[in-house]
Amino acid sequence: MSSIKVVGVSKRFGRTVALDNVSLEVRRGELFAILGPSGCGKTTLLRVIAGFEVPDNGQIFFDDEDVTYKRPDERGAVMVFQNWALWPHMRVYDNIAYGLKVRGLPKNEIDRRVRWVLDLLGLKGLENRYPHQLSGGQQQRVALARALVVEPRVLLLDEPLSNLDARLRLKLRGEIRKLQKELGITAIYVTHDQEEALAVADRVAVMRAGRIVEVGTPREIYSNPKKLFTAFFIGKTSVALARVEDVAGDIVYVRIGSLLIKAVNHGVQKGDRDAVVVFKAEKARSEPEWRDYVEVRGRVVVAMYMGSMVEVRLSPPGYNRDLAFYLPEIEPPKPGSQYTVYLPLNAVHAYTVGGEEDLVKELLEED
Amino acid sequence: MEAKLELTIKKLRLQMDLTSLLLYIVPLIMLLTFFVAPIASIFTGLAYFDWSLLASPFYINLKPVGAPVEIRQIYGVTLVIVKGVDMGVILNSIVNSLLVTFFATMIGTSVALLVGLYEFPGRRVLAVLASLPLLVTPFVNAYVIRLLYGFSLQGNTISYMLRSLGIPFEIGFTGLAGITLAQTLAFYPIVYINVLAALGSIDATLIEQALNLGSRGFRLIRTVVLPLVLPGILAGATLVYILSLEDVGAPIVFNYRNVMSYQVFLFFQEYTAIGRTGVAAALCLLMLLLAVVPLAVVRKYLSLKYYARLARGAPRPLKRLKLGPVGMLVAYLLVFPIVVAAAAPQIGVLILAFSERWVGALPSGFTLNNYYVLFSKPGVFRGIVNSLTYVATAIPLIAVLGFAIAYTVARIRVAGIGFLDLLSTAPLAVPGLVVAFGYFIFLHTVAQGTMLDPLVSPATVLVLAYVVRKMPFTVRSVYTGIIQTPQELEEAASCLGAKRWLTIRSIVVPLVWRSIVAGLLLSTIYVMSEVSVSVTIGALGGDIVSPSHTGPITFVIMRLIQSPSTIGGAQPQAVAAAMATILMALEALVLFVAIARLAGRGQMLISV
Ligand SMILES: Nc1ncnc2c1ncn2[C@@H]1O[C@H](COP(=O)(O)OP(=O)(O)OP(=O)(O)O)[C@@H](O)[C@H]1O
Ligand SMILES: [Mg+2]
Repeated sequence: MSSIKVVGVSKRFGRTVALDNVSLEVRRGELFAILGPSGCGKTTLLRVIAGFEVPDNGQIFFDDEDVTYKRPDERGAVMVFQNWALWPHMRVYDNIAYGLKVRGLPKNEIDRRVRWVLDLLGLKGLENRYPHQLSGGQQQRVALARALVVEPRVLLLDEPLSNLDARLRLKLRGEIRKLQKELGITAIYVTHDQEEALAVADRVAVMRAGRIVEVGTPREIYSNPKKLFTAFFIGKTSVALARVEDVAGDIVYVRIGSLLIKAVNHGVQKGDRDAVVVFKAEKARSEPEWRDYVEVRGRVVVAMYMGSMVEVRLSPPGYNRDLAFYLPEIEPPKPGSQYTVYLPLNAVHAYTVGGEEDLVKELLEED
Repeated sequence: MEAKLELTIKKLRLQMDLTSLLLYIVPLIMLLTFFVAPIASIFTGLAYFDWSLLASPFYINLKPVGAPVEIRQIYGVTLVIVKGVDMGVILNSIVNSLLVTFFATMIGTSVALLVGLYEFPGRRVLAVLASLPLLVTPFVNAYVIRLLYGFSLQGNTISYMLRSLGIPFEIGFTGLAGITLAQTLAFYPIVYINVLAALGSIDATLIEQALNLGSRGFRLIRTVVLPLVLPGILAGATLVYILSLEDVGAPIVFNYRNVMSYQVFLFFQEYTAIGRTGVAAALCLLMLLLAVVPLAVVRKYLSLKYYARLARGAPRPLKRLKLGPVGMLVAYLLVFPIVVAAAAPQIGVLILAFSERWVGALPSGFTLNNYYVLFSKPGVFRGIVNSLTYVATAIPLIAVLGFAIAYTVARIRVAGIGFLDLLSTAPLAVPGLVVAFGYFIFLHTVAQGTMLDPLVSPATVLVLAYVVRKMPFTVRSVYTGIIQTPQELEEAASCLGAKRWLTIRSIVVPLVWRSIVAGLLLSTIYVMSEVSVSVTIGALGGDIVSPSHTGPITFVIMRLIQSPSTIGGAQPQAVAAAMATILMALEALVLFVAIARLAGRGQMLISV
């Protein structure tokens, strides 16, 4: 087991900048998630760490060892691929035993360890099947078994569950965390599913466009995102452009149209004109359920029943766009009527626009 | 500066372990030594050459000699002799190749459009007949074409059939026109296959849209289909052009010497006459340029086109259209007869192989003796043994080098890979006679007296030439196989600690072995049916009267046809036909197996 240190790594493919000066540190035995939208460079980062790509700049350390220019076979970082990459011409047993054979272990030792991992992952009885004779969930386990059996110093998981259905994902992500902790392996877990990242990881790094935006524990990332992009990306959110009225330390008062609300302050200064407000829209309720809360009033544009929740789009007075909120089990209000939703204060965050103009524009357009 | 160098070395080390270094360097050295150097040494043969020689009327004659068509009346029968004119060696070759390309493209494209777009009774028969000439039978095919359509005093088969139908009309091809006919009939299926493949990659939506807009018939083809299959047409046409330029079979069979290929061929028959080296070298250089320049232009254009089409993903297959009355007329009265006429020689080869005699219009006397002769005449049998020996030596070399190149090009990222890629496919574009001539000049000079001297050991040189010329088929097949296999399968092995050699052995080879076998099978039949080097370098080890000559099957076939008296017997050409049927059977087997394996990607069998 090793710690991983990525220092100032950049990687371009032609004109595409896949990684832009990325630095991060993963502690020994930690399960570290990398979360970000499609194309932000997650796979590239894993491939650089595994040694499949050479960074244009920067260095990679496993513990104190500089592995930047080591070949994959010299590094000991084992990757579990998004499509699992099981060898179709080998039986399950041989797929799993491969890494042990490469290491030249004696036959009975190989057999012992393969049986142990088959047992660990509930694959007993499948050892003589070929990969195409397995279900998706079984294939995923074989891929994991193939990596775990060599007890790698670093385990890299690239969206290991993305090809599975929702129920299986839920089950397997718990198993992965359990195994990783039991075996004490340092692991990086790449996903674009924020819920998965928050559920499984000790710490999470949020990535966007080749950069690390923020690193923190799942709780920090969810409840108190320091960066606008994190706030927007995690959970179901709504974004509004607002006028700054007053700044009182951790709290900021802003106006959306003519609607005055307060929000948790992230870097908004006295004298700033504009701020971006991010609502954790799934925290909205039809009654105030907290001591410290925020009221959002507006005309109902649409209200849609969506199974477990109701989407209500409100247009606040004097504001030219509408905001979506998700409320559990209410009677959908009539379009055109006035309606008020309530959110806890820690579900409303205000960020300074300075330096993030492009992102703000993008977020407002996307909505 | 130093730090930068160190970094470059570190990065290079990542790609270049001992295995990948060998996989890269060995084929590179091989191709530089046995492809680039021989071709380059053609220039040394030109050191004292007086280029004005080529301006003489023998080479370029702007006042063509003779009438292209001669019509005679004999005993109330109209005799039409199609001869072509003599414009000098160089112009003859160029004009002939252009004509063959034109006719082959017209016929091949028409047949492909009919078979690929329309449904009508007899479509499958047409498809099979059209691919028959792909089973090449060097020399014999042209010989049978001469029997069927050539001018001879005994009359030919087609005239005989016209006469039996009561038409008092005889037609016969000879000279340059004979070559044009023979090559057109033999090569048009290459265009056919390429266009058919291009049609297969068109998405049905495009055609359906045009139909919905009311586009029908010829208009539909001209405005929608042709632009889409243009890459296929161009690929096929270029290949036909090069094959026609380098073909020495038809000129030999029609005994017409005034084309470039025959003139280069003559150099080998009289190689002691050093005075001829200059001319032969100049003609080789000219042939090389005439082949390579158009190919380079077309490929540049094609690669752009192909990317535009590939972007759309897998096509939805086309539902065939109903053929209208005009189309029916064209199909049955024009296309069918031409396709039958082109398939007839292949069937003729079979008939000749089982005939006692076929000199005039019709064969006579069924016999199996021709096959007996194959094994009983030592000089003839020797050809079979030689071919098998050469295949057995060349194919393992092709397997190793071809895999090395395909793997390197597909998977190793260092500078110069593009050059290796180019070098390995370039032999497809270089006329075989140019390769033969280059080998002779180069090896006879630098390796004089050794086993690499073609005058000392033609067999060694032949095998090397076969490897270089026929390896591209294996390279392409394996390369396609490798890039269609996700690289992650290899990466999964390497991150588990497997070094490159182990990854290749345990992952790559087991996953692409089908492509390797398919490629080697193709290389095998193309080695067996190779002509240019076989009849030139192969001839240096003596004629077929000698039971220890070094010529392969194609050389023996040529000698049996070109100079039947050397071996004697009833009709040596029929023995040649028997030999050719063995090649044909082998080709049928391999093309069938390979095509089945490559699932409809027939165009890769032959396209450049
Ligand atoms: N081999 C390559 N050649 C060219 N561009 C590449 C290559 N690999 C990645 N890219 C580009 O680099 C960027 C980052 O790609 P990457 O695969 O790392 O994204 P990702 O975050 O893993 O996305 P996803 O969630 O869709 O898997 C993308 O714009 C991608 O198109
Ligand atoms: Mg990815």
